[in-house]
Amino acid sequence: MVSLTINGKVVRAEEGEYLLAVIRRMGIDVPALCQHEAVEPYGGCRLCMVEITKDSWDGWKKYVTSCLYPVEQDLIVTTHSDKVNDLRRGILDLFLARNPETPLIQKLAADYGLTRTSYEAIPEPNDCILCSICTRVCDAMGFSAISMVNRGHGKEVAPPLHQAPPDCVGCLACAQACPTNYITYEDVGNRRTIWNKQFELLVCDKTGRPTITKEFADYLIKNREIPEDYFRIDDASHREELADKMGRITRWSVTEEAK
Amino acid sequence: MKHDLAKIPEIIGRYPQQESSLIMVLQDIQKEFNYLPCEALEQTAEALHVPLSKVFSVSTFYNAFSLTKKGDVVVRVCIGTACHIRGARQIQEQLETALKIQAGETTRDEKFTLEVVGCVGACAMAPVVLTNEQYHAQCKVHTVKKLVSKR
Repeated sequence: MVSLTINGKVVRAEEGEYLLAVIRRMGIDVPALCQHEAVEPYGGCRLCMVEITKDSWDGWKKYVTSCLYPVEQDLIVTTHSDKVNDLRRGILDLFLARNPETPLIQKLAADYGLTRTSYEAIPEPNDCILCSICTRVCDAMGFSAISMVNRGHGKEVAPPLHQAPPDCVGCLACAQACPTNYITYEDVGNRRTIWNKQFELLVCDKTGRPTITKEFADYLIKNREIPEDYFRIDDASHREELADKMGRITRWSVTEEAK
Repeated sequence: MKHDLAKIPEIIGRYPQQESSLIMVLQDIQKEFNYLPCEALEQTAEALHVPLSKVFSVSTFYNAFSLTKKGDVVVRVCIGTACHIRGARQIQEQLETALKIQAGETTRDEKFTLEVVGCVGACAMAPVVLTNEQYHAQCKVHTVKKLVSKR
């Protein structure tokens, strides 16, 4: 255990923990857009930036992304100093230029006193904030069907060769984890379309309601030792169990949840 | 240039069949074909046990890789600071007129591709034009067309 000071309060934390986890546990609201419980920290959005110092640092301060900074003995952390807020405002200003119409960004920016970007907003904006949660979640699921492609202002999330991704099983993990609902899919009857790829959904023997895609079921049966008829019975306990098994990354069926 | 896709397995086989060989394999394929054919990406992914999405990610990240076919001769006009000051834009325009294409395009006969690049590290020789790997120093507007005259 190490002890450190966060916003004037002395707290204890496990060695190896990251600052952001400790800060959030204290109930302090530090924004972070690329954080997802199912995957490793990424340091992409830079919004969780905090100020750190130590008594022995002779007045020196550092600004670090708290999601990636491990706790240290005697560290003094400030989460909302004027300078930190300024840094966050600067980052949100850039986010607003990229995603001027995205509600999540608008709200966060408003929290920091910004209603519009001081830069020129990009001409045809979309809701992708490039947090890479979708691609990392896809990796965590073991499919790696999509990835970040290109770089700089051309960077985007895309399937390989911009074609229907061969490794995608239609599990919807990417769409469900997307913080801005940029990734869309369509379920019509027992057909699902995501990333321009068509899937057939299995249906429950009793209720006739769609469960998960055939490809996803095949994968789970083969790799996670789930019995073959498991996905043909649509009940709450199965949904719960599967959600637990998959680290709650993906749920059985979003259509059901929406009801 | 004829692209012999059958060569791909041999190129992939030059390196250990693991993830860390990815960039070296792609570089060799790029060198052989002047671009990365789809088939090459797929075969590389399979041989090195890397997801196709990661191979695509890497091949779109680096400027050294191209996913579109290029001409036999890739003409690169440096427009870095030193070359810019010494008239790189005029050189570029001359080449565009001569080849009847814009920078970034390939002639219809697939002989030439014209590109503009940042600094090529030869500022003392500005303005610089590269034809494939050959450097041409102190290019002049009235003579640069010779570099792309059809032989």
